[in-house]
Order: sequence, then structure tokens, then C-alpha cells
Amino acid sequence: MQRVLRISRQRASLAVALLLSATLVACFSEPERQPIGTTYPMPSQQASGNAGAPPSQSPSVPPPVIQSPPLQTNYPKTIQDSGVSSAALYLYKQAQAARAAGHADQALALLQRALHVDPRNAFIWQSLADTQLNLQQPDQAEAAAQKSSSLGRGNPYVDAGNWRIIAAARQAQGDTSGAMRAQAQADQSARALSASP
Amino acid sequence: MARKIPSRRSSANQSGPWLNRLLVAGIVAASLALVAFAISLVKLDQDVRTRFAAVRWVLPAQIYAAPLELYPGAPISLAELKTELDRLGYRGADELYGPGSYVAGKNEIRIDLRAFNYWDGPRDERRIAVGGDAKGLGLVRVLGSDEKLDLVRLDPMLIGSIYPTRSGEDRVLVKLGEVPKLLPQTLVLVEDHGFYDHSGISIRGILRAAFANLRAGRTKEGASTITQQLVRNLFLTKAQTFKRKITEAFMSLLLERHVSKDDILEAYLNEVSLGQDGPRAVHGFGLASQFYFNKPINELQPQEVALLVAIVKGPSLYNPRRNPDLVLARRNLILKLMGDAGYIRPDEVEAAIASPLGVAKAGSGGAERYPGFVDLVRRQLNGLYKEEDLTNEGLRVFTTLDPRVQDALETRVVADLPELEKSRRLPADTLEAAGVVTSVEGGEVLAAVGGRDTRYEGFNRAIDAQRPIGSLAKPFLYLTALSDPDRFNLQTMLNDEPIDLKLPNGQIWSPKNYDHQLHGPTPLYMALAKSYNLPTVALGLQVGINPVRHTFSAAGFDNVPEVPSIFLGAIGMAPLDVAQIYSTLAAGGYETPLLAIREVLTKDGQPLSRYGFKVKQALPEGPVYLTTWAMRKVIELGTARWAASVLPPGQVFAGKTGTTEDMRDSWFAGFGADRVAVIWVGRDDNKPIGLDGAAGALRIWGRLMRDLHARGIDPLAPADVEEAAIDPQTGLRADQACGGSIVVPFMRGHVPEQYAACADAAKSGPLNWLKDIFK
Repeated sequence: MQRVLRISRQRASLAVALLLSATLVACFSEPERQPIGTTYPMPSQQASGNAGAPPSQSPSVPPPVIQSPPLQTNYPKTIQDSGVSSAALYLYKQAQAARAAGHADQALALLQRALHVDPRNAFIWQSLADTQLNLQQPDQAEAAAQKSSSLGRGNPYVDAGNWRIIAAARQAQGDTSGAMRAQAQADQSARALSASP
Repeated sequence: MARKIPSRRSSANQSGPWLNRLLVAGIVAASLALVAFAISLVKLDQDVRTRFAAVRWVLPAQIYAAPLELYPGAPISLAELKTELDRLGYRGADELYGPGSYVAGKNEIRIDLRAFNYWDGPRDERRIAVGGDAKGLGLVRVLGSDEKLDLVRLDPMLIGSIYPTRSGEDRVLVKLGEVPKLLPQTLVLVEDHGFYDHSGISIRGILRAAFANLRAGRTKEGASTITQQLVRNLFLTKAQTFKRKITEAFMSLLLERHVSKDDILEAYLNEVSLGQDGPRAVHGFGLASQFYFNKPINELQPQEVALLVAIVKGPSLYNPRRNPDLVLARRNLILKLMGDAGYIRPDEVEAAIASPLGVAKAGSGGAERYPGFVDLVRRQLNGLYKEEDLTNEGLRVFTTLDPRVQDALETRVVADLPELEKSRRLPADTLEAAGVVTSVEGGEVLAAVGGRDTRYEGFNRAIDAQRPIGSLAKPFLYLTALSDPDRFNLQTMLNDEPIDLKLPNGQIWSPKNYDHQLHGPTPLYMALAKSYNLPTVALGLQVGINPVRHTFSAAGFDNVPEVPSIFLGAIGMAPLDVAQIYSTLAAGGYETPLLAIREVLTKDGQPLSRYGFKVKQALPEGPVYLTTWAMRKVIELGTARWAASVLPPGQVFAGKTGTTEDMRDSWFAGFGADRVAVIWVGRDDNKPIGLDGAAGALRIWGRLMRDLHARGIDPLAPADVEEAAIDPQTGLRADQACGGSIVVPFMRGHVPEQYAACADAAKSGPLNWLKDIFK
């Protein structure tokens, strides 16, 4: 596409100066201030990479890598501590029982009903992911586990389980290296938990 | 004379064999006719048998709303619960008298819950007590025991059906065993007293009718038995011809030979026409009970039974909504007959006669209540099932509709449009509106309104009105930029300067700010909050068109043209499409295709399909959080400040106004923690309305979110985001020494290193020399 851009007054100097300063600052900064966390694909790369195709299908957007926030001690360890309503807890327990009895289908219906009552509970989402794994829906299981981690906002007790589910889900989809990365994350979360008081 | 004698003789001689021949011919003809008659009778007999056996009721799919869950702590006041029960056709009383009744106390409502077949199994009738107050529900317990319940569902409301468009035939099938005995008793008493004695036709009835008609000199009375009426409705035309009547009589006699009286009666109960509702024909007592009384058939009271039987005489003339006096008189006559026959006690007759008609308002009678939403359900089903399966197979479709949300949305649209018209001195009924409300985490459509006439079944603006979305597009451009934290953050300064773009077709595009002012360099978040066009286009040109299209696509909308004007929202979208992409933002970047259906069951309750929570992470969570933060500023200090005056204080919501050229469309889309709502206001003829997004759609949106008790956003940042105090003047870091600093989120590791001049840290830092450059 041909496009002529005419900006009447160039005021890029400030931006350049800012950029320069940022670079300089980066040089002077302490080592622990290195950027950590997720590296997202550049938008332009995404566009050229799969123009037209729904990009969301690509697992190229990884779940947030939980490294940076210091491990807090007040994260809920179990669903009972998570401020869940008694109604959602009741359904969650029924779902666990149904799953234990081999009725994953029933468990799924119960968990979805629980999510109608308590849509932002990380433990219920995790159980949903686990159930979807039972039902041979690994793509759904992986997404639900990611969602659980997001809602857990760094809760390591939830994350450890979610990485384990993601590892299994990727393995089931034939993504061995992805599964290994997830397993490494699971192990790391588990180590962090055992190290914390 | 002489000539006459032989002639007479000869005629006598010849007449003997001629008469004989005639007689023989007559006998032969009669025999042949008898044989032909017998053959035709045998054929008719076969015909009746096969046709009756093959009768397949047209059973339109039944559409249910989501059931209301009752549990301790549920955010429903007792008053709201009572409204909900009324809506479901539960009857308030002094004591529970059967399923479908409730007793409202000050701190408790006792309910006799109806039995209902849910998708995950049946629930029997049970009596419960629900405690609570004006804020929410308390203890839920089983009446007559100490058993506490963790949660219990109300039965879901029937909100519509998918009936065949040609015949309009709609029905809810009932079995004779499920119907209160009084109904068939009364029907037989009034329509065909000798039903259990005759063999299909009633000679006495025919004679009586013939006599009455003779006296009146015209057809005044029919003599059809219930069997004849059924035969006519099922197999024959309504034409008043002699041949049709003879065929009907014979078919009735034959039918009675093969089919029991009970089966005939049950078929009649389901076939008889009992009213018309626009294009929809109400067939059978099961649907009529819903249509006229908004309750299941087993809860009918004597006066209601009498009324439905009164309608059988002629559903058009005896329409209780149109001719209430006529129907009341006939109902009372029937009640007296019921009393005389001993079906009800004299005191019951008296009480029933004293009671009003009790017919539910048109449109509130159970079905076809929410045409805009049912239309959406129909479309989602159409891709999955054949049309005739939907209209004929009696599928039970459980949807995501929340009647409380739907009512709130309808109320706002109906109440606020006249006010908006007045504010711009527009003639009444000039404006149109459409709206969609979805749940944040589940991606469920909770409500949809397709126009200000919320009962209209035609053009559905929520799904079909493709209008340019204006600035509603901006968050997706800003999100694209913020996904590249090496280049952009919320504090990145954007130029607010005139831009002229040469388009591929040679035209020059010169966007302007809405206020036709220039505001100087503006922080990125402020450009979004104030919806400045020029900084937005400048940002768009840095980001590129395709990455922005890509973001739209990831959020759930693919059809975005490859032109720079998409930065300012030159994209045609329906409110439902907007709800889709805003839902993805609201859910932290997790996309869920918006669903209106949860479960589909066969008429026997076998599950056919389940539509679960299908999520996928489509957009990166951190940048979505930053974008949402800027959208919070839209309400805090930007174009949608008005909303703060109606939203609950202390709660945080995010949204965006949208206005199109010459103010032809007024949009607002926004969300809290649990609800996404999109409102469009405009005109069908696409003329300017004089309202921008803030003056129009925002008014409806703000009050709607208030009415819904929508919860504010959970402001906890995701793990890959960190917050820092920033000096708003310079966009550099601030500390306690700086006055008026704001806390801004950044992608982790991308907080500006540089401190502003006001900060203590800056004074001790090694970069004072650099800072001086900026002074």
C-alpha cells in the first residue's frame, strides 16, 4: 500500500531523547533489574506469520511465566481457603466424587454449574482442566489450566497443579518439548513450595 | 281408441321383462355399489388406522432460560426472589397448596417447588424455605426437616419455541395421566356429553342439531362428537361440504373401532386449536395453559379449566384477551355445569365464579417473551440441527438467558430512549437501540435486545445491524501497541498533530479530533481516555494496520478491512460482534465464542449436545491488563465521566465511548468483573441523531450496570505486570517527594528507569546530567 505520511511538525526529538535515556539507564542499572517474564511475539511478526488465520489457535501466546513476584505466604492452599461460596464448594466436591467414580462427563456439568456460581475461582477452573484431560480434550484442558493460573494471580499452590496438567495436555497433543517445558515449570513450582515456609 | 288397446296391451306385454330387467339391473348396481362401498370402507378403515398410527405431533423445540440458583449468600434480595417466582407463574398464597405456590414472609419465603427434568437429571417437587433480606439470600432449608441445602434451582422459565413458519403450529405435548382429571371431565361434559357411550357419532346429537337448524333456518348448531372433531382436525379440511361430513362420520366410526376412548381424548387435548398469537397457532391444552395462565397444566384451578374449555367453542370469538365479558359468561356457565355434575363442590363453584379471568398479559404468557434472544438461539441452533428437527422433534433447549438481566436491559432501553429524544428535541420514536449483555468468564449471552419494541420478532439490530463502531475500535489498536513493551507503554507520549494520509484510491484522509482542538503531546493512556483521534492515528501508523487487524481477529472478529481508517473504527459491526471482542478484553485476553445455548436434550430427556466453557488464551494477559487500565480512565477522567455519577462508588469499571461521523451512531461498550454490556443508539435510516457515545449509549449503559448490581473489576495485576509511581508531567518515575504522582502499570521489566526532577531518588541518582537535558 502506498501511503504518504506528512506530519506537519516533527517532534521526534523528545522520543529519541527518551529512548536514548532508557538505553543509558539500562546500562547503569543493577543486574536484578533485568527484564524478566514473558516475551510476547511482536505484533508485526504475528501478522506476517499467519495472516488471516485466527491467531488465537496458535499456542504461541504462552501463559504468564510466574517467576518474578516474591512468594507470598497468604495464597490459599486449598479451595476451602479461597473464599469460595458454600454452594460452589458443594458442587466442586460433588464433581470430585463423580470424577473419582469415573463419571467425568457428570463432573464437567457440575463444575460448569459451580462456575456459574463462582466464575473466578482458580481451584474450580483447575478441576475443570483436570476433568477435560480425563475427557480427552487436551486443548481445552491446557486453556482452562492457563485460565486457572491467571485467576490465581501467582498462587503457587494452583500453579504447580496447572503446569502438571499443561504438561500432560501437551503430551497428549504430541507436543513433547512443550510438555517438557511445562513439566520443568511444574517442578520449579513444586520446589518453590517446598522451600517456602 | 282401437289403436290404443293393442298399444296398451303391447306395452303391458313389454313392461314385464323391462321392469324385471330394471329390477335385476338395480340389484346388480346396488350390489356393485355395496361392494364398492365395502371396498372403500375397508380402504378408509386401513387409512384411518395407518394415519392415526402415523400421527406425529408437530413439536416445536422448547427454549428455556437459565434456572436461578438459590444458595446462602446469593446476591438476590427476597423481594427479587418473589418477583422471580411471580414471573415463573408461582402463585402467592397464605399457605402452600401444591407445586407452584409460595408464601412470602418478612424474613423468609416458603416455596413448593415444581418437579422439573433438568439436563442433569430430574428434580422432584419439594417444599423449601429460603431466608434472606434486602441484600441477599440466607439459609435455604427443606420444610418439615432440619436439612439445610447448599443450593437449589428454581425451574427455568419457558421463553419461546421454534415453531414451523408456514403453519405456525406450536404445542406443548401432554399425557392424559398428567392432566388434572377435571379437565377431560369438563371437556366431555361441555363438548360431547355422550362421548363414553357413542361409537364415534351421536345420532341424538345430529337429530337435535338438525331440529335446531331447521327452526333457525340456518346452520346454528353442530353435532360433532369429540371423535369427529379430532378426525376433522387431523385428517380433513374444514370445508362444510356434504361429502366431507359423510367421510368424517365414517372415519369417526372406524377410528373408534381401533382406538380407545382415552387415546382419542388425549389426542384431542393435544390437537385442539386454542388461540392465535400473531403468526403462532396455539394448539393443545398444554401450551394453552402456559399461554393464558403462565403455568404448567397440572396446576390449573377449576375456573381456569372452565375458561380453557370455554375457548374450545371458538378460539377467535372466545378470546379472553379480546372478549373478556363473553368468555367470563361462558366460563361461569361451565362452572355451574361442573357443579351440577358434582365435579366440584357448590362452595368451589361460588369461589370460582367470583374469581377474575386471571389471564396473563399478552406476551407474558410463558412463550415468545424474548424474541430478540430466541432469534439468536434459533440461529445458533440452525447451524447444528435440521430445520424440521427444530420444529417437530420437541427438543428441549436450555439457554444462557438470565431473565433478570434481560428485563433490566429492556427496561433501560424502553425508559431511556424517550429521554434521549427529548434531550435533542427529536420527535418521539425516532431513535432505535440495541443491546447485549454477556457474562465475563463464561462468554454467555445473558440478554439481547434487538430494538425498542422489545416484543417485535422482526429485524434484530443486536445481531443484524452492522454499523461503524467508531472509537470502540481504539482499545484494540492500543492493545496492539502495548503488546510491544519495548516500544510502547501507557506513558508513551503521542503527538497530537494534523495528519493527512493519501489512501490507495488517491483520496486524502485528514482525520480530526472530535473537539477540533490540538492538545499537544499526550500520554498514550490519556489519548485513549479522552478518545483523541490524531494521537490514535499517529499510534496506528507506528503499529501498522495488519497487527491491529490481527488483534481484532484474536479477540473474535475477523472481518476487518485493510485500511488505516480502522484505527478510528471504520468497521461495520453488530452489537453482538462488539460484545464478542469486548468479552475477550474483559476476560483478560481469554476468548470464548459467545454462546446462547448450554444444553440440548431430546424430548425424552436424552442429552444431545452440551456447550461448555470453551476458553483459549487469544491475547496476552499483561497488555490486556494495561489496556483495561486505560479504559478505566475513560470512566474516571475521560469521555465517560458521567457514568461515575450512577455507578456504585468505589467500584471500578472499564469501557469506551464510540461516535461515528456526523453523530449517526452512539455506542458504549464496557465491563466490570462479571458483566460485559454493549449499547448502540441510532436511527434505522442512518440519519444523524445529535448524540455522541457519551450523551447517548453511555446513559443507558451506566444505569444498566447500576441496575444489574454489576461488580467492579478486580484490580489485581497479573504476574507479568508491575506498578510504579509516575510523575504525570514528564512520564518519568516519581517518589514520595513528588506531589500528584500517579501509579501506572507497566509490563514487568519495562518501568521507566529515569526519575523525574521532583524525586529524591533523582537527586541522588547518577543521571542528573541526563535529566538536565530534559529541563
